Amino acid sequence: MQSIDLVQVVVSGLAMGSVYTLMGMGLFITFLTSRALNFGQGDFLMVATFVSMALALAGMPAILGIALTLVGLAGLGAVLERVAVRPLGQGGAGGADSLGWVLTTMGVGMILQNIVTLVWGKSKFYSPPLFGKGDKQIVEILGAGVFLEEILVAGSCLVVVAVLLWILFRTRWGNAISAVAFDKDTASLLAIDVKKTIMLSYVIMAVLAAICGILVGPIVSAQAHMGLLYVLKGFAVVCIGGFVNPVGILIAGLAFGLVEAFSNYFDSSLGDLYPFLMVLGFLVARPSGLFGEGRMDLR
Amino acid sequence: MRIRYLFAAALVAILPMVAPNQFYLLLASDIAYLAIAAIGLNILIGLSGQLSIGQAGFYAVGGYTSAILAMKYGIPLALSAACGLVAGLLVGGIMSLVALRTRTHYLAMATLAFGFIVEILVQRWVDLTGGSMGLIGDPRLNYGSVADGPTYFFWTVGAALVLCQMFSDYIIQSEWGRRLLAVKESEKFAATIGIHAPLWRAATFTFAAVLASLSGIFFVHQSGYISSDAFGLDRSIQFLIVVVVGGLGRPYAAVLGAAFIVVLNQATASLYEVSYLIFGVIFLGVMLFFPTGISGLLEATGRRFVRQPREEQGSAATIEPFNRRGIDAEFALGLEGVVKSYAGVKAVDDASLLVRTGTIHALIGPNGAGKSTLINVISGLYLAERGTIRLFGQDVSRSPAHMRARMGMARTFQNLQLISGIPVLENVMLGLHRHKGMMAGFLDWLMSGRLEAQQRAIALGILAFFGVEKFAKARVGDLSYGHRKLVEMARAVAQQPVLMLLDEPIAGLNEEEAKEVAKAIRQLRQRGMTVVLVEHNMPFVMGISDRVTVLNYGRIIGEGTPAEIQNDAAVISAYLGAAAIDGEPVAAEARA
Repeated sequence: MQSIDLVQVVVSGLAMGSVYTLMGMGLFITFLTSRALNFGQGDFLMVATFVSMALALAGMPAILGIALTLVGLAGLGAVLERVAVRPLGQGGAGGADSLGWVLTTMGVGMILQNIVTLVWGKSKFYSPPLFGKGDKQIVEILGAGVFLEEILVAGSCLVVVAVLLWILFRTRWGNAISAVAFDKDTASLLAIDVKKTIMLSYVIMAVLAAICGILVGPIVSAQAHMGLLYVLKGFAVVCIGGFVNPVGILIAGLAFGLVEAFSNYFDSSLGDLYPFLMVLGFLVARPSGLFGEGRMDLR
Repeated sequence: MRIRYLFAAALVAILPMVAPNQFYLLLASDIAYLAIAAIGLNILIGLSGQLSIGQAGFYAVGGYTSAILAMKYGIPLALSAACGLVAGLLVGGIMSLVALRTRTHYLAMATLAFGFIVEILVQRWVDLTGGSMGLIGDPRLNYGSVADGPTYFFWTVGAALVLCQMFSDYIIQSEWGRRLLAVKESEKFAATIGIHAPLWRAATFTFAAVLASLSGIFFVHQSGYISSDAFGLDRSIQFLIVVVVGGLGRPYAAVLGAAFIVVLNQATASLYEVSYLIFGVIFLGVMLFFPTGISGLLEATGRRFVRQPREEQGSAATIEPFNRRGIDAEFALGLEGVVKSYAGVKAVDDASLLVRTGTIHALIGPNGAGKSTLINVISGLYLAERGTIRLFGQDVSRSPAHMRARMGMARTFQNLQLISGIPVLENVMLGLHRHKGMMAGFLDWLMSGRLEAQQRAIALGILAFFGVEKFAKARVGDLSYGHRKLVEMARAVAQQPVLMLLDEPIAGLNEEEAKEVAKAIRQLRQRGMTVVLVEHNMPFVMGISDRVTVLNYGRIIGEGTPAEIQNDAAVISAYLGAAAIDGEPVAAEARA
C-alpha cells in the first residue's frame, strides 16, 4: 500500500466514519430518553439529501438551502415523536417492550421512501458539491490528492459532535435529557417537562440525520433506499461504543469508518464483510461496548 | 385431547380440495413456512426477551445446506432436509453462545451482523450458491408428482406448522413459558428460583434458529429456484414485522402476522408504486391503535363472546409438608470469614455467622451496613471474595445461585421480583418444582384439557395460607404493595425451601399486614423452616427472632438473643450514635 493511497483511504474512512458517528449519536439520544430507536433514521438522512440537493439545483444559496433542510427535518423529528412514538406509551402493553416502535418508526421511514420515489423516481442522483466549486475538487495532503469534500465532511461532523457534547454536558437541555434518561418520574418532580424533553431528543436526532444527509449528498450517490445502511452502521457504532457514552460512539464511529475503508481497499469483493465480522467479534469480547453499561438489575 | 389441533389438521387436509386454484395453495404455503420461522422468533423475543434481527441467516443456512446437498450431491430430499436442520442446529448453537455474552440491543446488533455476514457470503460465493443469479433445478418437495406437487407441498408445510404451533402453545401455557418469562424479567431473579438462565436462553435461541432453518428448507424446495436475494436483511426484518404485527409473545402471533403480511403483499402487488406508502401507513395504524397487534385486536373483539375462564378450584389454606433435606444438619447456614467488596469498599468484611436449623435469625444494622450484600452473597447472586458459606453443612461458596436455590434456599427481594404480565397464581407456580420432563408434560398437556391442575391447587393453597387467594387471577400490577409482598413470599414458599431469606419482609406494610406476615413466618418455623431476615422495624425483629446479628460498616458487631442485643453497648452506639454512651465507644471505634 502506497503512502498516497494510505492518505486517501484514511481521509475517506474518516469522512464516512464521522457520518456514522452522527447517525449513532442520533440513535443514542432518542434511546436515552424514550428507550426507542428511530428505525427510519436512515430515511431522514435520505430525505435531507434529496431536499438539500433539490434546493441547491433550484439555485438557492447554499446556506439558505441547508437552513431550510435542517428546519424541515427538525419538524419531521418532532412529528415522528408525536405521531409514532409517544402514543405507544412507556412500559406496559404498548411500551418499548412490545417493540411497537420498530414498526411505527419503520413505517414512517417507508412512507418517506415512497414519497421520494414518487417525486424523484428510482434513479441515482449526485448532489452538487457543498463546499468546493466545480466537480470533485482535489487538494493535496502529504503529496496525495484528496477530495476536498471528504475532508470538509469529516471536519464538519467533528464540529457537530463537539456542539452536541457541549449541549449534552453543559446546557440545561442536556441536563434535562440526562435526568429524563435516569428516571422520568424523578425528572418531572424536578420541574422538567418530560414530554418536551423526549420531543427535543427526537428533534436533535432529526437534525443530526439531516446534517449527515446534507454532507453525504455530494460524496455518494443518492437514491430512495440509501438510508438503511446508514442507520445500521450507526447502530453498529453505538453498540460498539456502548449506549452510555457519546465519546465511545465517536471513537467507534471513526474506527468503523476506517476499518470499512481499509477493508474495501484490500478486498473489493468482500469489503463490506469484514467490518461486520469485526463487530460480531467485538461484541463477543466486549458484550456491552467499549464503555459498557454496568447496571445491577436487582437489590 | 385438545380438539383445536384436529380442526387445524382437518383444515390443512381439506384446503387443497376447496381452494379455487393452485395460486391460493401457494399463498397458504407461503403463510405456513413464514409462520414456522416466526413461531421461533415469537418465543425468542416474546418469552425469553432476546431480540434477533438476523433470523434470515439461519433461514439461509438451513435452506442452502439442503438445496446444495440435494442438487449438487444428489442426496435424497428427506436426508438433505435433515442435514439442513442439523446445520441450523449447529450454527444456531454457536450463535447462541454469542447470544449468551450479549443482551438487548447489543444482541440485536450481534444477530444483525451475523445476518449480514451470511447474506454477503451467499451473495458472493457464487460457485456454491449461484449468488443472486440463483440456482435452478433444486429438487422440489413434491413426492415425485409435478401436477399435485403444490398440494403435497402444502400438506407437508401445513402439518409442520400445526406441530410447531402445538409445541409453541405448550411452551406458552406451561411452566416452560413461565420460566422463560422469569429469565426475561431478570436473569438473577431467575437464578434464585433455581433456573439456570444461560441454559434456557441458549436453548431458546437454538430452537428459534432451528425453526428458521426449517422454514428456509421449505422455501428452497418450493419452486425449484433460489436466489440469494431472498435471504437478506429484508427477510430478517420481515420475520420481525410478522411477530410484532401479530402481537409479540401471544400464542397466535406468528400465524396471524404471517397471514396478514402475505395477504397484504399480494393485495398491494399491483400497486407497487405506492406499496411502501401502504405498508408504512398500515404499520403505523396497526401499532398505534392496537399496540398488541392483531392478537390484541382479536382479543378485544372476542372478549364479549368468549366465556370467562372458570373459577380456580377452591382449596384449603395449606402448604405442603416441607422437604426434609438437610434438616438433620445442626446449622442450616454457616458463614466463615466472608468478604465482599465493591471497588475497594468492603461491604461485608470478615463476616462469620451460624444459623441454627429451625430458627428465625434476624440481620439488623444501620443503612449501608452490608445486610443486603450479605443476603446476596448467601443466595449466590454475588460470589464472596473470601470465606466459606455452608448450606446445611455443605460448602457452597463457589456454587452459582440456581444450584443453591435447588438445594433448598429461597429468597424475597427488597424491591419485589414478580412478573407483572402473568396472573398472581402463575407467579406462585413459578416457585414450584418441576414435576415432569418436557415430553411427558407435553403429552399430558395434549391429552388432558386441564393443565397442571395439581400445581394450581398447591399454589392456590399457598396463596390461601397468606390470605391472598382471592387475587389468584389478578395481575400483579393491580395489587397493592402489601399484597405483592405476600405474593412474593408465597412464591418463595412454593419453592419448598428449607432456608428462607427475607429481605425487609414488612417494609412498606401497614400494621395489620405486618402482623399477618409475622404470623406466617412463625408458622413456617413451626413446620421446620429456617428463616433469615433483614428488617429495620425493631419491634418486629425483637418480637419474632430467636437470634439477632448486628452489622455495621460490613462487620458483625454483635450477636445474641433479642434481649442481649437490646442491651449491647456497641449495638446501641451504632444505632443511636456513639455519644449516647459517654463518648467512650467513640474512642474505641477510632482505635479500631
